[in-house]
This record gives sequence, structure tokens and C-alpha cells, in this order.
Amino acid sequence: MLIDWRSMSFRERREALQGYLSISPWVIGFLFFTLVPVLVSVYFSFTQWTITSPSEWVGLHNYIRMFTQDPLFWQALKVTGNFVLISVPLKLIFGVALSLLLNLKVRGMNLYRTIFYIPAVISGVAVSLMWIWLLQPDTGVVNTLLALVGIKGPGWFWDPQWALPSVALMSVWSVGGSAIVYLAGLQNIPPHLYEAAKIDGAGAWQRFWRITIPLLTPTLFFQLVVEMIESFKVFTQAFVITKGGPLKATYFYLYYFYEEAFQNFNMGYASALAVVLMVIIMTATIILNYTSKHWVYYAAEEEATK
Amino acid sequence: MTKKVRNFSYMLLIVMVLLSACAGGQATTVAPVEESTEAPVEESTEAPAVQEPVTIEWWTVSSEEYTEQVQRDLAAAFESTHPNIKVNVTVLPEGGFSEKMTTALGAGEGVPDVAFFWDNNWFPEALDLRPFIERDNFDTSMYIPGFWKTRALWNDTVVGLPLGVGAQFVMYNKDVFDEMGVTYPSEDWTTEEYLTKVAQLNDPDQKRWGSDRPRRPFRALWFNYGPDVRLYSDDSMIVDGYLNSPGSIAAYIWAWDLVDTGATPTPADIEVLGTEGTGPIDLFMAGRLAMATLNQGHMLNALNAGVNFGIVPEPGVAGNERFVNAWSLTSSIWKGTEHPDEAWTFLSWWVGPEGQRYLMENGNLFPSINSVLNEYEDADEEYAQAFFKVLELTQVSEWRNAHPCNSTVLRAVGDVWDKIMFGEIERDQIQAELDAIVPAAQESLDECRERLGG
Repeated sequence: MLIDWRSMSFRERREALQGYLSISPWVIGFLFFTLVPVLVSVYFSFTQWTITSPSEWVGLHNYIRMFTQDPLFWQALKVTGNFVLISVPLKLIFGVALSLLLNLKVRGMNLYRTIFYIPAVISGVAVSLMWIWLLQPDTGVVNTLLALVGIKGPGWFWDPQWALPSVALMSVWSVGGSAIVYLAGLQNIPPHLYEAAKIDGAGAWQRFWRITIPLLTPTLFFQLVVEMIESFKVFTQAFVITKGGPLKATYFYLYYFYEEAFQNFNMGYASALAVVLMVIIMTATIILNYTSKHWVYYAAEEEATK
Repeated sequence: MTKKVRNFSYMLLIVMVLLSACAGGQATTVAPVEESTEAPVEESTEAPAVQEPVTIEWWTVSSEEYTEQVQRDLAAAFESTHPNIKVNVTVLPEGGFSEKMTTALGAGEGVPDVAFFWDNNWFPEALDLRPFIERDNFDTSMYIPGFWKTRALWNDTVVGLPLGVGAQFVMYNKDVFDEMGVTYPSEDWTTEEYLTKVAQLNDPDQKRWGSDRPRRPFRALWFNYGPDVRLYSDDSMIVDGYLNSPGSIAAYIWAWDLVDTGATPTPADIEVLGTEGTGPIDLFMAGRLAMATLNQGHMLNALNAGVNFGIVPEPGVAGNERFVNAWSLTSSIWKGTEHPDEAWTFLSWWVGPEGQRYLMENGNLFPSINSVLNEYEDADEEYAQAFFKVLELTQVSEWRNAHPCNSTVLRAVGDVWDKIMFGEIERDQIQAELDAIVPAAQESLDECRERLGG
């Protein structure tokens, strides 16, 4: 927002200045560590650059190659798209379910909340190593437990059919982080709405669908966007566990980007990959934002229009 | 509205000017420091008074072969005999070394005078050592020829000196062989013998596998199948007839047969039970693998653990030349160094007989210089002799160094390998699968060759 300094009093100017000073660390950080690298990436996406030699302008060559001659690009895009479609709903459902449990009034709830939040702060590499052990087909905990009840477990990360679902399942592990956000949303729902519904004879299921979900939609929308972006950026699991395999079943977009940038030193092409991913994520976010008008309910906005 | 836009534009302009001024200020404050450190040195060379020592930057990594302390001591030992040169040692974690070097080389500043140039992509930034070698009559023939050829020479220049040697070979557990009544492998054994022994040594009751599996195709064992068993032609032009040559198909079929024996751990087993990335030494030392393809570091581990083992090269094909996966660390001088003479003095000492002897005696380095290698304390032992013989074989890396598109093309055709490892392909489908991936491989090769300037 732009301000007209001349029409402001001394006090107003001082307050505005304080405001700008307060946000200046973020602005400077954004400029130098986000905007400039993004712009530089866009520039390099039109070049051939191997880091140790000068970059050479190649125009749209990288983009043309990507869309017309590179099967690995399409493979990585397909795998990542599938992962987004599997993991985002899973994380939303489990996140909401967990937040409902954490919203119950039972003794020691703060301890439970802490316990469920812990996985969200553990390093992705450590978590990946732990899941390798858990899902090892022959000696892993999961298949050993399944064997006890007569079920032969799958090959998980080492089975082309199961590798992608395994990584998606693994991503649910850190759902405690988003559950805390849902919990905040749940606690903003006025209790009198539930009391009124109870008096009107609404059951638990009706209260959940008619009150909880509609009033939680702003939080759900926020989490949907965040989880979608996170899912597009999936990398650690492929890097640590699967190396993109087996049979490229987990050949994620960022893993391909990593190989091009830091193994083949093909920085120009990798920059083009990064730009395309940014465009995909921006487009998906804009589409979600557009659809939100039809399903996200902002109580405050409704109050304001009355 | 127009006023607001104008005000905002002014503000943005002021901020940008300020920021660029700040950035400019940083640059101008750095430059004089660099100049000021250099200037006195140049002046002092002309002055008859006490000469200021020249400081050179040395980036290295800590490993099992040479710890950080050993390398700091090595630098101190060098300084004690070269009082005019001070070596500023920076020991980096092995994982972050490549990223830091690549970034520094890309930026063109902050690059050390001396460092490992272990990535082929860095070679254009290395100082050509030929003038120093010629001037000092530096004897390059002291290095084991294979390593000199693969790790020092590049595009008719000398980009570095090879530090240490490493290689892969098959280690076999003699106790297991004796228990199962299987004869020890000989150094000229074949891939067919390998399959037979693997099956004989497998013992599910003891939870013991006959051997591990190769990690990827087109390395020593593949090369042993013949001169046409390559990803592509020697001039980096043609895939057809190499990737899918009769020898290549035979090598893939051999891998299929090995998996089919059921006597090898699956990739999942190796991931969890084996040592990450470097080979299944844990399984071998625990007696769960009768044979395994390991390296000289693993050999020392097994030796210290008292395992009764023997060493042979990877199996070959009768009548064909035999290869080995071997390596050495190219140690180089950055071509932008301001102290080339001092850097050369240190490099030629560090990677010369004195430095490599120091690292062998105080660390676990196997030197790349034959005369020093023969001073190894167990040089006469059977295991050391077998290891030294492996080092004499032709190296796969000779081919790899000259073909930087190897990994790019291999990635494009990796699915056939995965299918074999995961049992998703029949034996008689291998040829058709290899033929089918030739176009994709050729496209990858063409793209890579074009990118690297042909």
C-alpha cells in the first residue's frame, strides 16, 4: 500500500517509519535471498551454463528441449503430480483427524500435542533413515508385524508399484505440524454454535459437517496450498532412500533438478526446470485461490457485508 | 493515484540506490584487503631484508586414510622444511567439499591455491603443471602408470598429481569356502565360475548369501566382456552396437543369472544391512556374505577384525582383457592462484614421495608411487600382494575420464538394470529391452556432447 507522506502528521509519519523499519529485515531478506535468486534463475534458464565456464545465451532452447525432447522431464512431472494427488488429501485427512483428537478435553493433552508435533521438527534425513528400517521388506518392523497376523507385506520402497505410495505414506508422519494449525482453527470456532446445534437436536456427525468443516475451511484452504507446494517440492526421500527408483517410480521433479544442477552441472537447464516448477506451483495456487470463492467460508467477511 | 505511484517509484529508486551502494561498498572494502596481503610479498621479494612467508590456501577433507590431525601435522612438517611458505589448512567435510569447490570455482574467487580437483568438470580451472614439471625435472614416471594416465592427464595437459590409490576387488571368506568345501577363486577366474561358486556358497539356514550383486552396469565386470561393451563408442558419437552389443547382452544376462540364483541379497537387504554407499563390508565381516566386491579400506577393516580372507580381481571372460574400478585423488593448483610457485612446491611435496610416505606411515593411505607403496609394512603379505596386482590392471576410469557423458547416458537407460535387479524381466527379453533403449541413450549422448561443446 502506498502512503501520502505530505498529508500525514508528524506522529503518523513516525509510526509509518517505525512500521517500515520493522518489516525491513524481511523485505531485505526477501529481496536478496528470494527475489534476486529467482530473477537470476530466470536469466540462467535462457543460457547454457556449466558453472565453471561462462554462460552462453541459448534463448528458448532449454524450454524447447524440455517440452519436446526430454522424456525424463515428463516422467518426473508425472511422478510428482501423482505424489501430490496422493499425499495432499492424505495429509489433509490425517491432519484434521489428529487435530480433532488433540482438541478433546482429556488429561495430559499438552503432552500429547507435544508428542505429535515432534516429528515435524525432526530432520528429513533422519526420518528417511528411520523409515528405511521400518519398511525393510524382510526384517522391517511393519512387515514383521503384518507377518504376525498372516499378511505378507509388500516390498515398500523397493517395489516399483509400492515405492510412490510408500513415500506418500511416509509424508503423513509429519502431519502433527499441520494438526497444530487445524487445532488453532478449531479453537476459533465459537462454542455457542455447537451448543445451539445440540439444542436443535443435531448429532455429532451433523455438527462436524455443518459447523466444524465450514468454519474450518479457511484453515483447510491455507493448509491445502501449503501442503500442495510442499508436495511439489518433495526431494529428501528420493535423495536418501530411493535415488529416484526403482524403475523411476519415485523420480521426483526436484530430484531430477538436483541431478541436472549438481551432478551434471547443467545449470542452465536446471534453472529452466526450476522456472517451470515455479510456474506450475503458481498456476495451481491461482486455481485453488479461484475455487476457494466457492467453498471457503469467511465468517468475518460475512459479518462485514451485513 | 499518479502521485502515489510516483512517490513509490522514488522510494524504490532510493532503496535500490542504497542497496547497490551497500553492495558496492562491500566489494570495495574486500578488494584492498586482497591487494594489501599480496603487495608486501611482492615488495619483500625485492627487498634484501627478511622475506615475509607466503601463505597458500589448502582445502582438503578428512577421511579414514588421513585424518584432520594427520594432515595438519603434514602441513607443519612441510612448513618446517620450507620456512618461506605457510600452508593455511582448511579441512572440509567430505559431503560439502564438492559444493564449496563448485561454488568457489563458479564465482572465480575464494578458491584455494591447492585442493583436490576430484570432479572432471573442474579440470578446466586447474593450472597446467607441465611448465613446473619440465622446469624442475619432476619425475612423473614414479607414479603407477594407470593412475597417472587417468587422474593427472586431461586434454593433453597435466591437471594434477594423483594422491593415493584405491580399487575394487572381490574379497572372499576363506573359512566359509573351507566349510562348504569350495575351492578358492584364482586371479583369472571367470564370470561362469563366479555363478557356480555363489550357488555353492549360499546357505539360507546360516542366513548366508553366496555374494553381493554389482551396483551398476558398465564398470569393470562389464568391460571384461569385451571391447564393444561400452555405453557408447570411444569417440562419444554412437550408442548402437555398444550398449546393445553381443558382449553387453551377455553381461546383462550374467547379471540376470546371478539374481536368479537367489543367492544374493536384494537391494533392500543391502540398503538396510550393508554399509551405506561403500559396499556391504558389514555383511561380509559378519559372515553373511561368502564373497563381496569391496575396496582397500574394507580390506583394512577386515584385517583389523581378524577375518580370514583372500583377494582376487573381479571375474572376467576367458581371452579378454581384464579391468579394474580404480581411483586416485587428483590434487591440483587453481589456475587463478597468485602464488603458483609456492603452490607447486607444496603440491609436489605433498603428493610426492615425502608427503605420500608421511600419509602412509601416519594414516592409512596406499601411495600412488610404486617405490613408496612397496615400503608398506605388510607389503609381503598375501593380501597386500593380491591388492597390488589388482592395481596393475587396466582401469575403467581411463575410459570414464574421457567420456564425461557417462552418467547422463547411464541414467537414461537405467530401467533395464532396475528390471533385472527387481526380477521384472525375463532372460530372453534382455536383448529386446537393450535395443529399445538405444534411441533414448543416443539422444542423451547427443544432448550432453552438444552441451559440453562437442
